[in-house]
Amino acid sequence: MKPLTGKSGTNILIGIILALAIAAAVIALVTTDRTAKKGSRLGPEFGYDLTEQKKIDPALILYREAAPVIKTALQKPTALAVGPHDRIYVAGDREICVFDSQAKPLPKIKLTSEPRCLAVAHDGTIYLGIQDHIEVYNDQGKKLAAWESLGDKAVLTAVAVGKNDVFVTDAGNRVVVRYDKSGRLLSFIGKKDPDRNIPGFNVPSPYFDLAIAPDGLLRVVNPGNLMIEAYTFDGDREFWWGKPSTNSIDGFSGCCNPVNFALLPNDEGFVTAEKGLTRIKIYDPAGKFVGVVAGPETFAEHDRILSGKGQGNLEGGLDVAVDSQNRVLVLDPLTDEIRIFTRKTKNL
Amino acid sequence: MAQEQIDSKEISRRDLLQGGLRNLCLLGVGGAAGLLIGRSRAQATVWQIDPYTCISCGNCASYCVMEESAVKCVHAFAMCGYCDLCTGFLEPEPDAINKGAENELCPTGAIKREFVEDPYYQYTIDEKLCNGCGKCVKGCNAFGNGSLFLQVRHDRCLNCNQCSIAAACPSQSFRRVPADQPYIIKEAYHAG
Repeated sequence: MKPLTGKSGTNILIGIILALAIAAAVIALVTTDRTAKKGSRLGPEFGYDLTEQKKIDPALILYREAAPVIKTALQKPTALAVGPHDRIYVAGDREICVFDSQAKPLPKIKLTSEPRCLAVAHDGTIYLGIQDHIEVYNDQGKKLAAWESLGDKAVLTAVAVGKNDVFVTDAGNRVVVRYDKSGRLLSFIGKKDPDRNIPGFNVPSPYFDLAIAPDGLLRVVNPGNLMIEAYTFDGDREFWWGKPSTNSIDGFSGCCNPVNFALLPNDEGFVTAEKGLTRIKIYDPAGKFVGVVAGPETFAEHDRILSGKGQGNLEGGLDVAVDSQNRVLVLDPLTDEIRIFTRKTKNL
Repeated sequence: MAQEQIDSKEISRRDLLQGGLRNLCLLGVGGAAGLLIGRSRAQATVWQIDPYTCISCGNCASYCVMEESAVKCVHAFAMCGYCDLCTGFLEPEPDAINKGAENELCPTGAIKREFVEDPYYQYTIDEKLCNGCGKCVKGCNAFGNGSLFLQVRHDRCLNCNQCSIAAACPSQSFRRVPADQPYIIKEAYHAG
């Protein structure tokens, strides 16, 4: 065997080094997770998981979806209301879509501005919240009046119509505004006043709902406090209920809920809608948790975004309304759908 | 007279070659200028995250070529609700609403909470502690206004030709933006 000369030995050594370098590069290329198929490789402490909170005991679900979904074809639906004869009104874009109780489309009402909220009186008169003021339309869609602006900071989010009064929530100024039906501003309700034991409304986001209950008191959401408060028309705070709880179904989840609510007929209580964990729930008139209409699994698009499985923002909380048949209607702005739920049993 | 004028306008071979050469030079100079402009334009872009499509997957924390990621959480104060029960700062079900480590959502303690006025609190990001994992972004998006979001910080980013986080981004939220507008700041929304 011919002994290796110094030159050929060096060549072999260089060859081995090159081969090892190429092998290392190939291994690195093959094993490096350049497309993140293996995930972020972060520990569990960096995860945000609401799987447990999304679970709802099936025994608590008292409603079922019992009618076809209604599509409004609006780009940006913002508010839902039920009017006389259980007509369904959806405001959004620059129009109000109207459906009869069987979801048959009726003539739309064209608007000149984007609506944010609405209420329909017993006579069919529509009170519409535009950014900073109220507009009034008759049941044929004819504009009757535009009330005075509440200023640049105003963000109107809900309207309630009584026998002689109209109440409006202004999330920008964090007050309830009381008008008479001619549009004359009568008073502000809910401004922080320690002498009257009024803490003020804590409104972190543009969700600030109200209604007039059968007991003659206003019910107003104090969203940042996760409560519903009762006020007289003169602005006295009578009582309140609600507690924060994301893990437990009987409380309101997150920072600021419920985003919207509606009253059940016959003074049977409340239907509340939460954002984040999209829960539609029933409370009795005293605020005691009764059951669930629908949970996060029912609103798949919200759940997909919440779980980080899809793009999009969760802006646009669910709105709710109840018709005379006790059907719960839910407007989902993410999917532009009205979902209709009915009770599984007669007794709640 | 007319014939003389016509003759004087005839183009010689030399004129033709000179003209052609001149035009070729002009074309070359123009092309070079175009290339330079194109290259300078290409260089005048930087990587950024589109906060409206970002899903806060956590990859920004671990796929940056730098030891400490160039991606950090930022806060659009104009969108913030200044919540007491801030879901970007606190665990979903905190034992108490305070700065206790057991109640804080951020694993690195990078969010600072300061009292403003009853009942409002301000939240700021300590960038030295933030690793860009996006956990707070998820919490804020889930329940709040989405005012916390991730951005590539250009005082740290090396502006790699091929960003390794962009390659690992499952939502394709990384894109090139003009260097003179290097951030995509979320704006307040007003849902109905």
